[in-house]
Amino acid sequence: MFGRIFIYKFKALIRSHWLIGWNFLFPLVLATAFSLGFGNLIDDDPISFHTMDVGYVAEEDSTFLTVLETLSKSTDEREAVINLHTYNSEKNAKQALADKEIDGYYLLDSEDIHTTVSENGIVSTTLLQIVKDYKNFQTTIKNIAIDHPENLESAVELMGSDLEIIKQHSFGHSNSPYLQYFYALLTMTSLFGSWISTFTLQGMCANMSERGKRFECAPGHKFKAIAAGALAGILIQSASNAVLVIYIVTVLKIDLGLNLGLILLITTLGSALGITAGTFMGALLKKPVLLVAVPMTYAMLCSFFSGLMVASIKQYVQYYVPFLNKINPGAVMSDSLYIASNYGLTREFYQDITIMIVIIIIHIILSGVILRRRNYASI
Amino acid sequence: MSNIISIENLVKRFGEKIAVDHFSLHVEEGEILGLLGPNGSGKTTTINCLLSLLQYDKGDIQIFGKPMSPDAYDIKSKIGVVMQNIAIVDTLNVYENVDFFCGLYINDKKTRQQYVEEALEFTGLTEYKKYKPKKLSGGLLRRLNIACGIAHKPKLVLFDEPTVAVDPQSRNAILEGIRKMNREGTTVIYTSHYMEEVEELCSRIVIMDHGKNVANGTAAELKASLKNRETIRIGIPNLSDDIIHQVKEINHVYEAVRDEDNLLIRCDGGEHNLVHILSFLSDSNIPFGHVSTEQPTLNDVFLAITGKELRD
Ligand SMILES: Nc1ncnc2c1ncn2[C@@H]1O[C@H](COP(=O)(O)OP(=O)(O)O)[C@@H](O)[C@H]1O
Ligand SMILES: [Mg+2]
Repeated sequence: MFGRIFIYKFKALIRSHWLIGWNFLFPLVLATAFSLGFGNLIDDDPISFHTMDVGYVAEEDSTFLTVLETLSKSTDEREAVINLHTYNSEKNAKQALADKEIDGYYLLDSEDIHTTVSENGIVSTTLLQIVKDYKNFQTTIKNIAIDHPENLESAVELMGSDLEIIKQHSFGHSNSPYLQYFYALLTMTSLFGSWISTFTLQGMCANMSERGKRFECAPGHKFKAIAAGALAGILIQSASNAVLVIYIVTVLKIDLGLNLGLILLITTLGSALGITAGTFMGALLKKPVLLVAVPMTYAMLCSFFSGLMVASIKQYVQYYVPFLNKINPGAVMSDSLYIASNYGLTREFYQDITIMIVIIIIHIILSGVILRRRNYASI
Repeated sequence: MSNIISIENLVKRFGEKIAVDHFSLHVEEGEILGLLGPNGSGKTTTINCLLSLLQYDKGDIQIFGKPMSPDAYDIKSKIGVVMQNIAIVDTLNVYENVDFFCGLYINDKKTRQQYVEEALEFTGLTEYKKYKPKKLSGGLLRRLNIACGIAHKPKLVLFDEPTVAVDPQSRNAILEGIRKMNREGTTVIYTSHYMEEVEELCSRIVIMDHGKNVANGTAAELKASLKNRETIRIGIPNLSDDIIHQVKEINHVYEAVRDEDNLLIRCDGGEHNLVHILSFLSDSNIPFGHVSTEQPTLNDVFLAITGKELRD
């Protein structure tokens, strides 16, 4: 039964011209628009990050300075994140900020680290992120400073690569941050898969359509049928992603900074994420009209917060609600592309992949719980 | 004969509204059971509860002697369903639709192919095999709906108003098809608000109103329960109260009333009532014009039970 449902769902899907047209063409149109918008920037300006000039005013010694010093050194892997200026009073630092010698400064008193910047924006988020990172490691750093002060610097340097701030920016890496837009686009396309599966579920649920009623009268295991439908959906969505990737690489001639196999692997996983999300939505929703609106909103929101329209949104989220970046499937997927292209298959990369798989499994389990042995109060 | 369906005291509410009200129904093997009731009387709701698509508030439903539930797959595998509204996949053609639904029941490819061909033949759709549903007329769509419901040769088939909005030719073909299936051993439940259809097709009839089972029996039994067995209408130009009075005295006549120039006479049984009345008129030298006589219909049965017409 599985095979036949798969084949028929596949047929039914590819003959749904609206759905196919939207899922295959819309991403291509967006990709073209992105490429027209800043395709040349990707070539001309591979390094968009500029080392920030940061002031430092301290009333007493702090291990924070060690961290800042580490960040102001360039390494083989990155250029310096900051260019550190030390001032003996806040007044001088303020003056320097006013003269635009520095982008912002830290003021340390006995209580806390105060961050001052001339304007809100990416600099502010970055500086705040550094403080946050430091606080995460503060206890460890302080212990080392007490027990093995001679090792402090190398320890901080070792931790350096674990700092979020380093992970978030490709300081001096060859990949342009504009690629983030394309990663977000691939993410959005994958999440469009959710629309495919709400469509599939419509034909399988008695509260959604007449054919759903007819379908539920049949003796087949619902879950098997839905799995077959989902597989057909994943196949179509992965194909749509593959078309997009190939279009970006060969027609728009943009180097995505990743080998093709790996991209397709990630986008296929992303498609599975979108498809199972749609299954969950389809199981939950009661009104057929919502079957389009909800998955579309979901795909758009998730990819918006992963930087589809405003690339820096992800960094803001990382500072204010970092948790969101770990559960927003859009952020996780675009992050995995980003990390893989800039740092290779690191622990963070595998963490992202694991999160995606976990979300997929959660979708499947929840859908199963909702759909199993279901009958309706009203149809 | 064994009991195929047994519904006991089924109650289904939609909020405040009671759609099915302590409804009981028993269907025996080999029957064509007609469920007759006006629109909104709860036929479809009953079918949906029977199929475990709907939760219900009270009652007990058994099919083939076992309790019905959403995952009673062994029961579901022996049931065919023709939904009230067209339930097909728009993007698949006629053959694929029948094959898809049949495939939910029949795994063996060869058997299925044969069954699908037979269902297409049965519904007269063979020549439309490759047509997409949107190319089919309303009548053909109905037939496709039926083919999808019965292709797997179930022992029990539920038809929910399969002939609504169907041309007379398709309609006759559908009814004939159901009779044929029944002759081959299929038990049928047939819901409709067309009394002629139910009377023509069904071996037993349950009349439903406001979710209740209000009467039950063969068409003849139901009519036999009526006082009125025959209505005679005679055109009499000089109709006087005296004549009406005298006609009332004739055996089996329990009512005689004036209806413009006509005399309307109702009889409660007996034979040759018309002959007796006409010979009385001739013997009394009362001139009369046209004469017509009507047997009671299920509508009269419905009227007698519920006080309203089956069809508005
Ligand atoms: N999903 C529903 N929500 C609320 N009321 C309903 C619903 N389905 C049916 N009803 C009501 O229940 C009654 C019975 O409807 P139905 O079973 O469709 O009647 P029939 O099939 O005999 O025409 C009607 O009054 C109808 O309005
Ligand atoms: Mg109905």
